[in-house]
Amino acid sequence: MSHSENMSPSESENKKSAYDFWERLYVPELVKGLAITTGHFLRNLWSEHDKNPEVLDRKSRMVTVEYPEQCVPYPLGYRGIHRLVPREDGKPRCVACYMCATACPSQCIYIEAGEYPYDDEEAASRVIEKYPAVFVIDELRCIVCGLCVEACPKDAIRMDHAEPMGSIARQHTLPALERKPFIYAKERLLAGAPAVHESDPWQHRKASEEPVGIHKEAHTRIGESH
Amino acid sequence: MNDNANPRPSSETSQPSPPPPPAPQTPPPPKNPGMVTLSIDGKEVLAKPGTPIIAAAQQAGIEIPHYCYHPRLSLSANCRMCMVEASNAPKLVPACQVPVAEGQTVKTNTPKVKEQQRAVLEFLLLNHPIDCPICDQSGECKLQDYYFRYNLKPSRLWGPKVQKNKRKTLGPTVLIDQERCILCTRCVRFMAEVAKEPQLGIFGRGSHERVDVFPGAKLDSNYSGNVVELCPVGALLNRDFRFKARAWFLSAAPSVCTACSRGCNVFADHMRQECFRFRPRENEAINAAWMCDAGRKSYRWIGENRSLTTISQGKPVPVDEALNTAASLLQKAQGSIGMLVSPAASNEDLMAALAFARDVLKVNTVFSTGRPHGAADHLLMLADKNPNRKALEYVAKALSIEIKPFELFTPSAFQAVWVLGGEMPESDIVMTARLKTVPTIAQAQHLSNWAIESQVFLPVASHLETECSMTQHEGIIQRCRQAFLPKGDSAPHWLWVVRLADLLGAKMGWCTARDVFSAIAPRIPEFASFDWDGQAPSIQERPGLPLPAAADGRPPAYRQFACSSAQGFSP
Repeated sequence: MSHSENMSPSESENKKSAYDFWERLYVPELVKGLAITTGHFLRNLWSEHDKNPEVLDRKSRMVTVEYPEQCVPYPLGYRGIHRLVPREDGKPRCVACYMCATACPSQCIYIEAGEYPYDDEEAASRVIEKYPAVFVIDELRCIVCGLCVEACPKDAIRMDHAEPMGSIARQHTLPALERKPFIYAKERLLAGAPAVHESDPWQHRKASEEPVGIHKEAHTRIGESH
Repeated sequence: MNDNANPRPSSETSQPSPPPPPAPQTPPPPKNPGMVTLSIDGKEVLAKPGTPIIAAAQQAGIEIPHYCYHPRLSLSANCRMCMVEASNAPKLVPACQVPVAEGQTVKTNTPKVKEQQRAVLEFLLLNHPIDCPICDQSGECKLQDYYFRYNLKPSRLWGPKVQKNKRKTLGPTVLIDQERCILCTRCVRFMAEVAKEPQLGIFGRGSHERVDVFPGAKLDSNYSGNVVELCPVGALLNRDFRFKARAWFLSAAPSVCTACSRGCNVFADHMRQECFRFRPRENEAINAAWMCDAGRKSYRWIGENRSLTTISQGKPVPVDEALNTAASLLQKAQGSIGMLVSPAASNEDLMAALAFARDVLKVNTVFSTGRPHGAADHLLMLADKNPNRKALEYVAKALSIEIKPFELFTPSAFQAVWVLGGEMPESDIVMTARLKTVPTIAQAQHLSNWAIESQVFLPVASHLETECSMTQHEGIIQRCRQAFLPKGDSAPHWLWVVRLADLLGAKMGWCTARDVFSAIAPRIPEFASFDWDGQAPSIQERPGLPLPAAADGRPPAYRQFACSSAQGFSP
C-alpha cells in the first residue's frame, strides 16, 4: 500500500504546494546553485587566505590553504606534537617518574629510567639523579588528549607553542608513509627551547649530599636560605 | 570518702548523720574470664591480656594509622600517629604501646583524634622533600596514603627544609635518602632484634636526626634487604630495584624463594614477563616476615642466561624436530638410560619425570644433581641450595627408584643420558667433558656449554612461569602461583615429559600441573593428603595496598602488552 493512497484530498493538495512554480521549473534553481559554486571558485582563485589568528578580524573570507606549502597558524590552546623540555644544559627536565605513562589512556609512552653518576659534571644531575634513559612516544597510538602534559610534575613534557614557525614543536605530527617515523625517541623529543623555573631543586642546592659548612639552624631563619 | 576527710559546714552538723558512704568500688568481674573485653568504636572486642590496642583494633577490622609499630618488633611509640582516645586516660594514648584494659572504651575517630593525626602528619611532612616523582616507594608509601586519608592540607612551612644526604650507600643492598626518613626506627630495631647485627643507628638531635651506619662501617648483613620493606616511607631503598619500575605497574604473584631449601614465602613482583623483585610474604611456620638478601637477589639469575628455543648441538631447531630426536634417542637407548635429576625442579616436574622414567623407560636408578652446598647463616639461609631435595626423596622412594649421588655417575655406562634440570654440582667445563662421550638430552632453564652442545636442549620455564608446588627441607609442601606465561618455547619439565611420552606412545594426557599432581600424588604417601587447590595462595589481593592484583584494576600482567610497538622501535 503506497503512502499517497492513505492521504485525504486536502493533504495531497498541501503536499503539492510545497514547491512554487519557479522551483518546479528546476532550471533557475540549478543556475542559482551553480552561481554559488562559481562565486566560491572565483574568490578562491584570486583572493588570499588571511593569516590573522583572530578569526572575526580576518579581511578575507577565504578558508582554503594550499597545504603543505601553506600552514594555518594554530590557535593558542592547540595541542601539537609532544616535546620533552630540556634544562639549560640540554639534558631533559624529565625525572622518569612515569606519571605521563600512567595517565596516558592509549599507552603510547615508553620510559626506562636511569641514574646519573655521583660525579656527573652538571650540578642539576647531581641533585636529581633519576632521568629517562629511554623515552619513546608512539605518535600513532597517541590520541592527543594532553593528559601527559597535565600529569607532569616537572613541566618536562609539553604540546606547546614555544617554538618559532617551522620547528617541530609548533606542528602537528608530520605525515609519513611508514610506521617508524611516528615513533619519537628522546633525541627528537628534546629538540626544543629549554625551560627554567625558580622552584627547580638545583637552584637551591649543589648536589644530593648533605651541604657542609652551613649553620645547622640556618633553615629555621625565615627568608634565609642555604 | 568519710566525714573526717570532708568536714562539712557547721549548719549541717545538727542534721541527722548522712547515709553510709558507698562501699569502695571493686572492678566488675571480667565479662569473659581469661580475656579482656573492651569496646573500640562501639564494637565489642575480645583480646588476650597484654595485647596493644592497635592489635585488638586490627582484629576487629578497625585500622589505626601507624608508622613505628610493627607486630614483630619491639615497641617504640615514637611516631605518635596511632594516638587514640581511651576512657581510662585523660589524654590521647598511643594505641601501639597501651595494652587493652577490661571495660575500656576506645575511640579512634573523634575530632580530637583526627586533629592529632592531621597534626602528626603535618609534623612528619615538615622536612620531608616531597620528591615522590623520583621516589621508588611512591605508590606503596604510608606517608602518601595517610596524607591523602588523614591530612590533605598544604604545608605551612615558610623557610627552606633541612637538607640531608639524598643518596648515601649504606651497604651492598641498601641505599638511604635521609631527607625522606621519618625516624620511626623500625630499621634500627630490626637490625638489633631480628637480624641480631646492630649495624644501624640514629645519629644527631632534633630535626637533624638521621638513620645511618657508624663512620667507616657498612650495612652488610645478609638481612639488610628487609629494612627496605620495613621502611614505611622511601628512605631506605633497595639498590637493586631502585629506578627499575614504579610500584603501581607491578603485579604480585605469591611464590616461593628457590635460592635455598628453606622455601621462604615471597611475592614475585612482575611486569611484562619479567620479575623485578622478591618481597617476603608472611608465613609463621617458615620465614615469619623476613627473607635473606641472597634469596632476594635470586630473581635475577632466574631470568638471566635463558635460551627460549630448542637447540640441537649448538644450533636452534624447531620444537618438533628436537622432540622427535629426543624421543628416538630415548627409544633406542631404552634399558640403558642414565638419568640425572635436579633437586631444584618442582614437585610436579619430579613426579611426572620419575613416573615416566619408571613406568615407560624402566629406569630403576637416577643420579641426583643439584647446586653445590653453600653458606648458611643464623636466621634463615641454609647450606643446601636446592629447594626441593625432600620431594626428590619422597617421589623416588614411593616409585621405588634408587637415588645415587652424582659422584657415582659414569656416562660411559649408558647409551643415552637424560638430564632433568641444569643445576650441576660440577663446573661447566667438567660437565662438557663428561657428557661429550654420550648422546644427551638436556632439559635446563639456563644456558651452559654442556647443554648447548648436547644432542637435544629443551628450554625449561622457571617456577615463576608455571603453577607448581615445592617441598622445603622440613617437608612442608607449598604452592607457587604462576606469575606470567612461559617465555618463548620454554615449558616446565613436566610438559616436556608429557610431550616425549606422547611420542613414545605412552599417552599420559596431562594438560596442567594440577593434572600431574592429582594423577601421581596418591602413589606418594607424603603428597596424598596435600590439597593442591586449597593450599594455593590467592593472587587476587595485593597485600599492603587495597588494590587488585594489577594496580590499575586490570588483570595481572596486563601491562606486559603495553607499548610493545614503541619498545620495538626504541633506539
